[in-house]
Amino acid sequence: MKTKFFNLFNKNAPPRTGIIRDFDKKTTGIKVTVFFVYIVCAIVVVLALFPIYWVIMAGFKDLREFMSSTLIHPYAFDFTRYTTTWNQLNIIQNYLNSFYAIIGSVVSALVFNGLLAYGLAILKPKGYKIVHNMVLVSLLIPATIALVPLFINIQRFNMGGFFTPLWLAAGANAINVVLFRQFFLSIPGSIIEAARMDGCSQLKVFSKIVMPLSKPICVVVTIFTVNGVWSDFLLPFLVLGVGQWQTVMVRLFVFSTQQTINNDDLMRAVVFSMVPPIILFFIFQKKLTENIVTSGIKG
Amino acid sequence: MKKSLLFMVVAIFILLLLTACGDNDNTGSGSIASEGSAPVTTAAPPEEIEDISIDVVDPYLTATITLGNWPPDTAPGAELALFEGFREIMRAQYPNVTVVPAFFSYTLANYLPMARGGTAPNLFQPPFTDPPLLISQGLVADVTDALAEFGILDKFSPSYIELLGDENGRIFGLPRDGYVLGMHINIDLFEEAGLIDEDGLPMVPRTLQEVAETGRIIREETGRAGLVFPASETFGGWLFTNIAWNFGATGENAIQSQDENGRWVANFTSEPMIEAMYYIRALRWEYDILNADATTTDWAGSHNILGTGQAAMNFAANDSVAEPTAGRGLPVESFALIPFPAGPGGAYALTGGTAFMFSPDTNHDQAMAVLGFLRIIGVLPFVDDDTVAAMRAGASAARDRGVPVLPPVPAWNDDEFIATQRAVADEFSNVDMRLFDDFFNSFTDGTITLRGEEPLFTQQMYRELTAAIQRIITRENADVLTALQQAQDRFQEFLDDEVNR
Amino acid sequence: MAKFKQHATSWFIMLPGIILFGFFLWVPLLQSVRMSFYRTRNIELVEFVGFDNFISIFNRHEFRQALVNTFSYTIWSILLGFLVPIFLALIIGETVRGKGFFRTVAYVPNVLPGLAAMILWRAFFSAESTGVINILLGHLGIGPMTFLTEANWVIPIIVLISTWRGAGATALIYMAGLAGINPELYEAATIDGAGIWKRIRYITAPAIFNLGSTLLILQIIAIFQIMYEPLVLTRGGPDNASISLMLLMWNYAFGGNMDFGRASAVAVITAVILLGFTVLYQIAQRRKVDWD
Repeated sequence: MKTKFFNLFNKNAPPRTGIIRDFDKKTTGIKVTVFFVYIVCAIVVVLALFPIYWVIMAGFKDLREFMSSTLIHPYAFDFTRYTTTWNQLNIIQNYLNSFYAIIGSVVSALVFNGLLAYGLAILKPKGYKIVHNMVLVSLLIPATIALVPLFINIQRFNMGGFFTPLWLAAGANAINVVLFRQFFLSIPGSIIEAARMDGCSQLKVFSKIVMPLSKPICVVVTIFTVNGVWSDFLLPFLVLGVGQWQTVMVRLFVFSTQQTINNDDLMRAVVFSMVPPIILFFIFQKKLTENIVTSGIKG
Repeated sequence: MKKSLLFMVVAIFILLLLTACGDNDNTGSGSIASEGSAPVTTAAPPEEIEDISIDVVDPYLTATITLGNWPPDTAPGAELALFEGFREIMRAQYPNVTVVPAFFSYTLANYLPMARGGTAPNLFQPPFTDPPLLISQGLVADVTDALAEFGILDKFSPSYIELLGDENGRIFGLPRDGYVLGMHINIDLFEEAGLIDEDGLPMVPRTLQEVAETGRIIREETGRAGLVFPASETFGGWLFTNIAWNFGATGENAIQSQDENGRWVANFTSEPMIEAMYYIRALRWEYDILNADATTTDWAGSHNILGTGQAAMNFAANDSVAEPTAGRGLPVESFALIPFPAGPGGAYALTGGTAFMFSPDTNHDQAMAVLGFLRIIGVLPFVDDDTVAAMRAGASAARDRGVPVLPPVPAWNDDEFIATQRAVADEFSNVDMRLFDDFFNSFTDGTITLRGEEPLFTQQMYRELTAAIQRIITRENADVLTALQQAQDRFQEFLDDEVNR
Repeated sequence: MAKFKQHATSWFIMLPGIILFGFFLWVPLLQSVRMSFYRTRNIELVEFVGFDNFISIFNRHEFRQALVNTFSYTIWSILLGFLVPIFLALIIGETVRGKGFFRTVAYVPNVLPGLAAMILWRAFFSAESTGVINILLGHLGIGPMTFLTEANWVIPIIVLISTWRGAGATALIYMAGLAGINPELYEAATIDGAGIWKRIRYITAPAIFNLGSTLLILQIIAIFQIMYEPLVLTRGGPDNASISLMLLMWNYAFGGNMDFGRASAVAVITAVILLGFTVLYQIAQRRKVDWD
């Protein structure tokens, strides 16, 4: 990050790689275009970051100031406003709940999606194509459409009120299955054959050969699952309700639709909900952007 | 091969176990109280029972109850301490009853999954608009026997029996408190606009026309909105029906009525309704006194805006006086509550309230224990040491928090109880009652007629009316009659679909 | 026999995944269809009513409005949500210095939880003088404007916010596609005197055409799911101007009337429309969607 940033001011820039080539004559037209490119990029940076900056600043305001001040910055940087809201909402409990939801979901996503993809990519038992096609169709139908009956089933099986349905739901993710399958297909068949010859059972091939070779895709699936579970609130809201297991986003959803909270506290709650994913992003930023570029898929 | 099969079986087994675990965790955590979850240590007879003169208290009652009326963790410490005190009294009087606090901010959307999943608290507090739906859908427990055994069934007002009961005379809840719609006033803005009389009191509007004129002065003098009008979702229609009544949308011009064939008809295009909508239109386009974001402002938002001094007036009720004051920081001295402004067609004020109801899995013992707790917190018609102490503690805590301490709108037919409530409010009064007397006198001296909500699907009706209001206040040249006609057609479609088949 | 055993074990290995897909997706989808033909009370099916739910919702103005709105969402999301990432990818691809920085920063809004982003933008578009955009306009000497109360503006605003969140991530995918273009093509074109527009037209556009069409169909599927965005921002208002099919489904089911039958009818109609889009797409492609 840092080195790349300084690159911006480095005289010895690397050669051009885009549509505009170093071959291009240094006409005014080209120069203007290059200038325009950087202007747009600067605007993009402001658009992407300013709202985040604003909400953090808004968190320093109290209700009266928030409702009446026409300044971006607060009158004073009173950090106790954040700590007060933090303590008052006892949001640490919601962080923990989100954490539980994430851990179970990641395990479930890796194991169940991985096993299904293993079947579809490598084992290929008779009739697997039907399942494969059904998984592909699932990609095309938004899960939201199935929300109402799913909710009813969860209530019927009396699974409401705890994380179980959320964990298991992560095991039915069509995108993950497709990702795993694509990756498994690229594993040379000879390696798997050799393991079979050595008498490895099918499951052992999965756990000892296929998964260890698939670390990159496991990382991608994990990142997507973490991000998805952290942000999700519709199914979690229907499953967890307003009970003690509320995740951060469910809490925020209840706040935002019922307004049982003052606007200034709401802005601080928004900040609390943004901080963990932003921190995680900057830690795993390289891995994430590279993996998306190489696997060419969207989160 | 065999090994892998075994592994699969184990995996599936674990899967099933996980599901089961979920349920176990649920009940184990004590967040729900199903019928069988009373503590095992039941038989222990209470060793030292206080000398309790109240004969409804049954010290041998055994139950676990979850109480949704508990204040949230985020509530001020004093309020939580108050409830901890109630819990102590409960423990002394009902040693075998376990009280589980479970703050629950009721909305239908929240309640449904919890009621179905068995995680709803035994006691919760829906507004008076919802009991008919909850009862017809089987989502609340029948507590008729418990109420009778507790001896409070005969103190119900007949209207509440109708509201909280079904056609077989079974009763599913009890009233918590009533509200009467009036108007909240931010006195600071009246002062800033020079609207203060020689006694130092704000010159508040008495009629809807005066609301418009007063609002204009405030807008001109302070730049702030004269009136905050929450015109999102259903709130706009809710307030609009009251305005329409005062333009005369009652009697033969009633908003909802049954024709001679028993068919329910919506009448949004009567002369009074049209005038009322022209009034709203004038507030926006002629007097320009509404808050800018009216169509996305909801009930809580309106209190935000009045409490932080962004608007001077708000149509709101006596049960929400804590919102702009203690909740949003407006000092009690700067707050007044006045009667709903009269209109050319009458002076009505919408009355409604909040009920206590019980989750569908609540059994008789749990209902009895909940009633025992409600008596202790002073909301049941009993006058004894416990209830008086609770009322005083509640009033004292409210005063400390900066909530105006006001006499309640009676929920029970019990003169002694009402008189006690009034006396306690007097004792802890922290406001200049001249700013509130008009409101409380208006419905006892008859200057204002109290009126309940329209009979059918009010939420749906409010939604349609709100949509019409949104159109009128966002498009200057929108036609009033067309908007109302469309809302009427839409609601009539709904009525025909739901009740007129 | 051994072969059969092997097949059986393979199926066993896939079984947990299949069960989960069944429970969370396939069975509920079928149930949706079934439930749309029933009158419901609470969560129970009361009686079979044929197409009554469908007829009834087609007679309801809010459904017709939601249907129209959903197409309006789709058009706006093609204009903004589809084109902006391509533009962004082209632009960032042209930078030499700071490319990694721009790429990363453009991605940042995507990691914010969608709900948090919506609440944040609600404050931006507030019509009060304290709304952030109004504050900024104030600096330019422009008086406060209303945004979310304007029936014609709400859908573009909602799509704009979604684009703000998603464009950086989608652009990254295009950048991957652009990186796959052989630079010699450009160089040859440059030497032949082809200007920038010609290069984009004849080299870049064909190269990312397939990727673009796949992303377009995914974009349309995503826009049909739009629900919490208007729920948080406008509650579907003003006057239903921003209600979407999925939000209407949510409202029917969880918004006060517990009308699961009509909610399912809305879901089924949405699914049918989406399948229609997919079929159209496949015909246009004249070959199987290349998921593998």
